Amino acid sequence: MSILRLLASRILLSALTLLIVSVLIFLILEALPGDIATRILGRDATAKALEVLRSQLHLDQPPLTRYFHWLGNLLHGDFGASLATGRPIADVLGPRIVNTLLLSLFAFALYLVLALVPAIIQATNRGKAVDNVISVITLVLLSLPDFLLATILLFLFAVAIPILPALATVSENSTWPEMLRAMILPATTLAIMMAVYAIRVLRDSLIEVLRSDYVRLAELKGLRPAAVLWRHALPNALVPALNVTALNLGFLIGGVVIVERVFSYPGFGTLLIDALQLRDIPLIKATVMISAAVYVAANLVADICAVLLQPRLRTR
Amino acid sequence: MKPLIEVRNLGIAYGRPGSWTSVVQGVSFDFARGEAFGLVGESGCGKSTVAYRLLGYGTVNSLAQTGEVLFDGVDLLKLDARSLARLRGNRIALVPQNPTTSLSPGMRVGAQIREMITTHRALPAGMTMERRLAELFTLVGLPDVGHRYPHELSGGQQQRVTIAMAVSCNPDLLVLDEPTTGLDVTTQRQIIQLLQSLRSSIGMAMLYVTHDLALLSQIADRVGVMYAGQLVEIAPCDALLSAPVHPYSRGLIASIPTIDGASSGRGLRGMLRRDQIPSGCKFEPRCDFAKADCKGTPQTLEPVGKERAVACMRWKDIEPAAAELTRAARSPQPDTEVGAVLSVEDLALSYQSPSVLRTFLGKADSIVARDISFELKPGEVVALVGESGSGKSTIARAISGRLQPRSGGIHLDGNALAPVLRRRSVEQLRQIQYIFQNPDASLNPRRRIRSILERPLRHFGIKSDGETLETVLESVGLHAGYLNRFPEQLSGGERQRIAIARALLVNPKLLICDEILSALDVSVQSRIVELLQSLKKQHSVAMLFISHDLAVVQQLADKVAVLYRGELLQMADTATLLESPLHPYTQILLEAAPGLRKDQYVSRSPATPGETSTGGQGCPLAGRCHRQIGKICAESRPPVRSTETGFIRCHIPGSQLVRGNELAAA
Repeated sequence: MSILRLLASRILLSALTLLIVSVLIFLILEALPGDIATRILGRDATAKALEVLRSQLHLDQPPLTRYFHWLGNLLHGDFGASLATGRPIADVLGPRIVNTLLLSLFAFALYLVLALVPAIIQATNRGKAVDNVISVITLVLLSLPDFLLATILLFLFAVAIPILPALATVSENSTWPEMLRAMILPATTLAIMMAVYAIRVLRDSLIEVLRSDYVRLAELKGLRPAAVLWRHALPNALVPALNVTALNLGFLIGGVVIVERVFSYPGFGTLLIDALQLRDIPLIKATVMISAAVYVAANLVADICAVLLQPRLRTR
Repeated sequence: MKPLIEVRNLGIAYGRPGSWTSVVQGVSFDFARGEAFGLVGESGCGKSTVAYRLLGYGTVNSLAQTGEVLFDGVDLLKLDARSLARLRGNRIALVPQNPTTSLSPGMRVGAQIREMITTHRALPAGMTMERRLAELFTLVGLPDVGHRYPHELSGGQQQRVTIAMAVSCNPDLLVLDEPTTGLDVTTQRQIIQLLQSLRSSIGMAMLYVTHDLALLSQIADRVGVMYAGQLVEIAPCDALLSAPVHPYSRGLIASIPTIDGASSGRGLRGMLRRDQIPSGCKFEPRCDFAKADCKGTPQTLEPVGKERAVACMRWKDIEPAAAELTRAARSPQPDTEVGAVLSVEDLALSYQSPSVLRTFLGKADSIVARDISFELKPGEVVALVGESGSGKSTIARAISGRLQPRSGGIHLDGNALAPVLRRRSVEQLRQIQYIFQNPDASLNPRRRIRSILERPLRHFGIKSDGETLETVLESVGLHAGYLNRFPEQLSGGERQRIAIARALLVNPKLLICDEILSALDVSVQSRIVELLQSLKKQHSVAMLFISHDLAVVQQLADKVAVLYRGELLQMADTATLLESPLHPYTQILLEAAPGLRKDQYVSRSPATPGETSTGGQGCPLAGRCHRQIGKICAESRPPVRSTETGFIRCHIPGSQLVRGNELAAA
C-alpha cells in the first residue's frame, strides 16, 4: 500500500471517529435531566419568556434537527454562544487554547528530553546501579497522582525554595519571559507525568533493539557508538514508544485540566471545569469536541511516524 | 610467513562477576594472509564465541579469561574501544549469520554501506562514492540495489549486500559466521562461489565458522574442529575430510549424509551436554574408543604429522577411518496394487480468495501452486523438494486443511477430504498428523511432556493405559523419565522426538513432516533420520517429507517430487532421480548440493535469460533454465510426459533429456 493511500484511509477513519464522538457527546448531554431554558432564566421565569428563549436556542426543534444544526455550524467553525456569558464560544476559547497550546508545547519538549535521556542511560547501563535508581524513581513518580505531584513541585520550588511563582496567572499583557517563568512548574509536572510511562517502554524496546543483530553489525562495522545509537538503535526503538506518546497526548488533555487548576493557569482546562460547573452545555460540547480532535490527530500523527520509521510497513 | 591472526590459549567464560562458567578453554590456532581457516563443531561448542573475539567482540556477559588474540601483532583483547572501532570494518570485517536481521531495517542498503566507507574514510582516491557503491554491487553480482530497503531483497541478495559491505574497506581479514545457513542450496553455492572468487581477487584471509563441513570443504584451506569449547583437531581440509583422526571428527564427518549414499562408519551418538562433561577428555561419554583412563586425563592438542594436531591420547590406537562405500539399505518398494492413502489431484492454491472485484480490475490472482497431483501409498515416503518459496509448505497446509484450495481434490483412503479443517471428521483429523519445523515453537513450554502427549489421546478419545506413553517414548528412543520434564529441559533433538511421538500416538495413516530436520545439528539429524526409517518399517505410516536437503531425502524417501515456483517439474523414484535427474531443474538442484569433495562448482548460466514466463503460461523455469530451447518455453505450458517411475514436465523430449544427462556426466 502506498503511503498516500494509507494516509487517506487513516484520515478518513479519523473523521469517522470524530463523527461518532460528536453523536455520543450530543446524546449524553441530551440525556442530562433538567431544562436549559429554566436553568438560564431561573425558576421564577414566566412560561412566555421560557418559550421565547427556547425558540431562540432552537430547543423547540426535534433532537435530530438540532444535532445536524450543531454539526453544520461546527464544520463552519461556529461553536455557538456560551450560555453563561452569552459571548460567542470561539471568542472565549481562542485565547485559552493559545495558552494551553503554549503550555503543551513546552511540556512536550520537556517530555521528549525527560523520556529519551533516562531511557538511553538505563538501556546502555542495563542492570547497573544507575538503571535501578532510575527505575525506582520512575516507579515512585508513576504511582503519584498528578495533582499530588503538582502540589509537591509547587511546595518545593515556590514555597520551600521560592524561585518560581506559585500562581501561573498570565494575561495578554504578560511578556515572554514572564510567560515562560509561569509555565515552568505546570509544564514540568505534565512532562514528568507523561515521561514516566514512556521511559519504561522506551527502555525495554531500546534494550531489545540493542541486542539485535543489526546493532551488533553496526558496532562491528566500526561505527562510533553515537552513530550506532542514533542511526541504528533509536529509530527502531522509538516505534513502541510512539504509541505510548500518542496515548500520553490523551493524558496531556486530562492532565492539563488538573494541572492548570492547581497552578491557576488560564487555559483550556480551567475553561472546561468552569463550563462543567456552570453546565454551560454549548461550551462543554465545544471543549470536549476539541479534546477529541486533538486526541485523534495525535494518534494519526503517531501512526504516520511509525510508517516513516519502518519502511517495511509502506510496501505491505 | 608471519601469521596474520594468532590465537593463543584463549579461554572465555560466560556469566557475571563471581560466577563465571568457562565455555572455551585453551584454544590456539593461527593463519596467514590470504588463508581460509574453518572452525566447525556442533551448536554450543563455542565456535562463534571464539570467532567474534577475532573482531575484539564479546557480549556483555562474557569474559576472555586467558590468552591473547594477536592481529598483525596487536592483542585485540587488550585494545580500547576507540582503537577497536578503527580496526572493525576497516581491517577486520564481519559477514553475519542472518542477513535478514543483520541489516538495519529502516535504512536503505546503499546508505548502510556508505556509512561504513565514510566512517573509515576508505573511499579510494579519485573515486566518487556512487561509483564505489556501483563497483561493489557489481563485485558481488548484484544490480544497483543501493536505493532498496533490506526487506525488498531476497535472502541471497541480502547476504550479497552484507558481503559487499564487508569488503567495502578492503579488509585484511573477513570473519564469516555461518554465512549460508539460512539460504537455499542453490543460493548457498552461489555465495560460496562468490566468496571463492573474492578471495582470489582481493586476497584477504578468512575465518569461516560453520557446522556444515560439506560447504567448508569447498572453501577452507585448514579446519579446526571444536568440541565443548576446545579444539580437538586441526588439519588441512582435505586431510580432515578424507581421514579424520580424532574420534569426534570421525563421528561428525560420518554423520553427514551425502547424496551418493556413501557413508563412512558410525555417526555420532549422544549430544553435547555441559552437565555431563567429565574432568578429563570431554568427549569421553560419547566416544566409541574410550578407555577407563580417558575420563580422568585432560587432552591437549599434540602435533601429529605435517600441519596437523589432535587432542586425543589414543589416536594411534584407533585404526584409520574406513571409508566404506555402502549404499543405504532401502526398504522394499511398497506394493503397487495397494490403494493410495493420500491422493492429490490438480490442486491449485492461492492465498487470496477469488473475487469479482479483482477479476473486474483485471488483476491476476497470485496462484502459489498449480496442477499439483501425486499419490502416497501406505508405508511410502514421498519427498517434496524445492527452494524456499517454491510452495512446499503451502501444499502441506492445504493437505492438512489449513488452506482452502482454489481447485482440485484431496482424497484420503479414497474419500474426498473437506477443503477446510472444521468440516473434516474427527477420524480424518486423526489420520493426518503434522510435525513442524521448529519443535521449540510447536511444544507448549508450560506443560510437562506427559500432558503434551496425553492431550491428543484425550482429544481423539483413544483409550490408553499407563504403558501407552512409555511405549511411544521408547519407539522414539526416549525413556519414561522424560514424562515429567518440561520442553525447555530437553535438547532440540529430544524435543523433535517428542513432536514425532505426539504424532505417532494417535496411530495416523499419514505424517506430514515439514522441514523437521532443518533446525537440528547434523549429528542429531542423522539419528532422527534413523528413527524415521525404523518407524516407516514398523508402523507402515506414509510420510510426506518436505525438505530442501537432498542428502537426507536420499536416505529416507521412496519417491521425490521436485517443486519449482508452485509447479511439480518432476516426480520419480529416489534412486532414478538422483542417478539420472533428466529435468534441467533437478540437475541444477543436484549440482548445487555440496559433497565432501571440492568440486569446482560453477552455477549454470541460463540459455536465454531474457525469456521468462508469467505465472501459469510458460514453463516456470524459463529464463533460468540452461537448456531452454526457445520461445516455446516462455510461452506455452510444457507437456507432462510419463517416465518409468513418475513423470516429467518439460518441452525437451525425453530422449534428448537423457542424452543431455550423459553429456553432463561426461
